[in-house]
Amino acid sequence: MDNTNKKIIKMDVEGLSLKSVSLWQITWRRLFRRKSALVGLGILSLLVFIALTCQWIAPYNPYNVLIGFESVKSRQAPCIHLLGCPSDQPQHIMGIDGNVRDEFSRLLFGSRLSLMIGFTTVGFAIVIGTILGALAGYFGGWVDNVIMRLMDVLLAFPSLLLAIAIVTVLGPGLQNALLAIGIVSIPSYARVVRASVLSVREMDYVSATRALGGGTIQILFRRIMPNALTPLIVQGTLGIATAILDAAALSFLGLGAQPPTPEWGSMLGSERNQVFTAPYLVFYPGFAIMLTVLSFNLLGDGLRDALDPRLAHISG
Amino acid sequence: MTTYLIRRFFSSIPVLIGILFVTFALSRLIPGDPCRAILGEKATDKVCNEFIHRHGLDRPIPVQFAVYVGEISRGDFGTSFRYSQAVTRILGERLPTTVELSFAALMLSLLVGIPLGIISAVRHNSWVDVLTMFWANIGVSMPVFWLGLMLAYIFALLLKGTPFALPPSGRLTAGVLAPTLADFWGLTVVKGTFLYTLIEFIGRMNILNALLTGNWELLSDAIKHLILPAAALGTIPMALIARMTRSSMLDVLGQDYIRTARAKGLAKSLVIMKHAFRNALLPLATIVGLSLGGLLGGAVLTETIFGLSGVGRTLYDAITARDYGIVQAFTVVIAVFFVMLNLIVDLSYAYLDPRIRLD
Amino acid sequence: MKRYMYVLLSLVVLTGMILAGCGPKATPAATEAPPVTEAPPATEAPTEIPFEAMMQEAPNCDYGGEIQKIEAVDAYTVKMTLCYPDPAFLSKVAFSAFPINSKEYLEQTGGTGEILEKPNGTGPYIVEQWDRGNQLIFKAFDGYWGEKAKTPTLVFRWSTESAQRLLELQSGTVDGIDNPGPDDFAKIEADPALKLVKRAALNVFYIGGNNTYPPFDNEKVRQAIAQGIDRQRIVDTFYPAGSEVADYFTPCAIPNGCVGDPWYTFDATAAKALLAEAGFPNGFETKLFYRDVVRGYLPQVSLVAQDIQAQLKANLNIDAEIVVMESGAFLDAADSGILDGLHLLGWGADYPDQTNFLDYHFGAGASKQFGDKFTDLTDVLKQAAALAGDEARNPLYVQANNLIKQHVPMVPVAHGGSGAAYKAAIENPQASPLTSEVFYVSAIPGQDTFVWMQNAEPISLYCPDETDGESLRACEQVMESLYTFKVNDTAAIPALAEKCEANTDLTEWTCTLRQGVLFHDGSSLDANDVVMSYIVQWDAANPLHKGNTGAFSYFSALFGAFLNAPPA
Repeated sequence: MDNTNKKIIKMDVEGLSLKSVSLWQITWRRLFRRKSALVGLGILSLLVFIALTCQWIAPYNPYNVLIGFESVKSRQAPCIHLLGCPSDQPQHIMGIDGNVRDEFSRLLFGSRLSLMIGFTTVGFAIVIGTILGALAGYFGGWVDNVIMRLMDVLLAFPSLLLAIAIVTVLGPGLQNALLAIGIVSIPSYARVVRASVLSVREMDYVSATRALGGGTIQILFRRIMPNALTPLIVQGTLGIATAILDAAALSFLGLGAQPPTPEWGSMLGSERNQVFTAPYLVFYPGFAIMLTVLSFNLLGDGLRDALDPRLAHISG
Repeated sequence: MTTYLIRRFFSSIPVLIGILFVTFALSRLIPGDPCRAILGEKATDKVCNEFIHRHGLDRPIPVQFAVYVGEISRGDFGTSFRYSQAVTRILGERLPTTVELSFAALMLSLLVGIPLGIISAVRHNSWVDVLTMFWANIGVSMPVFWLGLMLAYIFALLLKGTPFALPPSGRLTAGVLAPTLADFWGLTVVKGTFLYTLIEFIGRMNILNALLTGNWELLSDAIKHLILPAAALGTIPMALIARMTRSSMLDVLGQDYIRTARAKGLAKSLVIMKHAFRNALLPLATIVGLSLGGLLGGAVLTETIFGLSGVGRTLYDAITARDYGIVQAFTVVIAVFFVMLNLIVDLSYAYLDPRIRLD
Repeated sequence: MKRYMYVLLSLVVLTGMILAGCGPKATPAATEAPPVTEAPPATEAPTEIPFEAMMQEAPNCDYGGEIQKIEAVDAYTVKMTLCYPDPAFLSKVAFSAFPINSKEYLEQTGGTGEILEKPNGTGPYIVEQWDRGNQLIFKAFDGYWGEKAKTPTLVFRWSTESAQRLLELQSGTVDGIDNPGPDDFAKIEADPALKLVKRAALNVFYIGGNNTYPPFDNEKVRQAIAQGIDRQRIVDTFYPAGSEVADYFTPCAIPNGCVGDPWYTFDATAAKALLAEAGFPNGFETKLFYRDVVRGYLPQVSLVAQDIQAQLKANLNIDAEIVVMESGAFLDAADSGILDGLHLLGWGADYPDQTNFLDYHFGAGASKQFGDKFTDLTDVLKQAAALAGDEARNPLYVQANNLIKQHVPMVPVAHGGSGAAYKAAIENPQASPLTSEVFYVSAIPGQDTFVWMQNAEPISLYCPDETDGESLRACEQVMESLYTFKVNDTAAIPALAEKCEANTDLTEWTCTLRQGVLFHDGSSLDANDVVMSYIVQWDAANPLHKGNTGAFSYFSALFGAFLNAPPA
């Protein structure tokens, strides 16, 4: 189905009048019909809300060490006034972390980081992947061969191990971790774009544009790229989920976000030896990661089904 | 078919060369020298200069790369700085652990994921379906390291003392040893031969070893230690497989020929197993191939949490310790293994679906 | 046509691969030997064979090391001649990096290979099997010269996660663990089934700076930082019980360690005023370097780093950016003096003497870690090292400590306590200050296997060429030195030597060996074994100077230099 014709004529049975609905509106409606996608969207909205307003919601500054300000001990258990904790003790819903800071505030601020991680890595990978995939698909021949072999080499390594190796070369740190994960994610987007480009390259309307004297870039961007948009969106949403997981894994291993940054994976990693003595410090960050990744997965699945129902039944 | 095979094989060669190059480049680009990494704060300049000279690390980089490629093509993976042993030997010691773990995780994910997927598809939109998909979605979103820690907490601490308690680390209880297969069978195999290495390799996989020697105590001990890591590692593939099987089955079940089969009067179970499932297998092969990458990567985290000395963990330690020998060799082995596997998956794809013989 | 090309090409490639495969295979470096069985009955030591005494001598003392000559005077006497007096000689000799190996075994193995995994020592245990990655199994040696091992089988296991170690101890799958996490101490003490043994803190954790980089070249700045860190808070929050705030660089258990004026008391206002006086009323920006490696002196690295960062900001308005470095790169950079900020490091005692602490870090031969040396300090240290007797050295070390307080090359923070935990029923629980536990004296009644879980796997069992405590502890079970450290103590007592006596100026040490000591393979100990064991470390030109990495770092650190060392 060719997407250049964006308007679809829909018959309104009642008044026999013609109403035009755009593809996006249909997509939106289809998305809403799937409950799981709605759940995903809901969780994501909550996360975005928290990320935007955490400065005002969080009871404490996530970097503030509380020694001297409150009489709390390192790794103290959660104290929730509603659940019976005496009101003369300061409330810390998720307890105190190893550096005597409020865990709940750090968790809230971590949402900002996770969303940023997801969007930057995938954004980077999509931009580079699109360029490579478009070049490969459009020009074919040895360009295609070289680029695809390069992608194969990248895919030959398990992504986490390759990311670890890249970060070790560049040095530990959040930026380097993001770069590493971005690099490792490029191949899948390159493939998606290449496939889309290949599928429409020989179509009539492209030849027509060429006959009319359109330049290569014009053809690429005006005619071919919009085709790749939908699979990219689907792949991208799911890719954000994987990127957040990988970034958390790197931070868990000490290679990603560095202290005192309140990133969920690094919070989990630094407290992993307290899993038996202070399980709340391990549970909450991990649960937050899982919830975030879940929302993107559900949303991605929903988008995939909504944007092209046929694709839902084929492996991908 | 043969042309396809050959062509696929050929396109793998530049990839293999690329792998060698990338591995070498990465390991050499890692900052810090192995001497300090290994000797710690007790290392001095004098000591390290001698160390670097002895291991040929002061030769120009292209020379080192040439030596490296030459060694690899002869099957000689060099020597590890830290352990002063042939890397091949270290590989032989650690690989069985990872293979056993990955295999167990894969088996678990297939044995649990496929039936769940089939049931969900057959009882489409019932509560079973909804519940299964709910758990599958959560499973796909779980960080492996978190799951591993939580499982350890539940089974090793909360359930301590109950019959459900499981050990949180290691492959076997202290003092329990898996006997060397060659000795057990009374074989006299010459050391250093391929046969010896093969027998050693099999012998190090505790479950296989226990089955081959009939040692039930070893078997139950090995399985108990493997359950938690395999569950942690296998959850994501399990969820993926469940979802894939479900959607694949749904697709097939909606086809006309299924309706024809039912109309002909064939039993429902027969229809599902013989007709639907076979055709639903196709995308499963792809998923299994894709999951293996995740398994090897996730193995690093799982092995760290559960204290298993496998390839993933050793590779990670070697990267930290700048043990070039191990880093290069293990990465190459993993990558080559991967490429081979993808080749097999592609071939089975081509075998299963005659339509897909294109490149 | 294309198809034929492909087939041909693939045939060529395949043939090439097959030919390559048929080439000579690389043989693995170390072959597996069958597990060591019972030591064969000791063959009659042929007493008729004349003893050929070994000897090695340095042409002169210009090579820079401590040893001038080692010789076997007779079958049971060894004499070492030193280039300069060494009052700490006995402690050095007792250190686990200088075990006595059998001369024949060294020659047979070539000083490497099998000796790394199957040591042949004189100790109470024999290595039965090393299941790499999983466990290390020892068996009691019946021919041991001393008190036989209480437990017939000893197993070493390891885990890098302290939570896992504690869990295994609690579930009873192991009998003793090393380094429970700081938060677990209270838990273990409250548990009647477990027993906590605290380890004396023979280490120091400090914040170092390099005085060649501004603003640390200004002594007032350094003094301001010295007063501006609340070290008590760090110790209280992040260190286990048994740790102390370090008022001196050297822990007090070391003779002359805690003499002179104690460190500045914490005073944020005074510190800020001093910093303003130095020209930085609004603080400055710098970096805080560290490596994420757990050590006895720093059990919770990144937490402490974050707290120091917070304190620098709050108390002195210094913005320290945290930079985590890889361990090897960090040590390299610190030693070369290129860290242009503050760095976190520590030191654990190798032998209980001030020279191991002060001289190593602030003496004339120290590295560039802290920048330029202070000549007044190096002079005092040099004088003190040449004297024998704690009282004689006392006034010099008082001076040294005061100078350190004045110049502030670094800020000492803590002496990190650690501990070991065991099942409550244990006899002779150990937590050696030098982390050299020897388990032949410990046992759990009713068990014939003792399982010990430490932090990491040993790298090899050839003590001379290892530096990490995990390897040293493992080989200490099977190897012995001339002297040894008393259990749970730092005093050096005779082991393979019945006694070692020095001449009046402590430059000649004569050791009389114990007779009738057997190696695990049944051969007897004689003076040549001692001489050989030292020579293979000392003489870099010796063909047996191989080991695991060939570094023999401890020899070089404790005895100055190698003989015939290759030009640097």
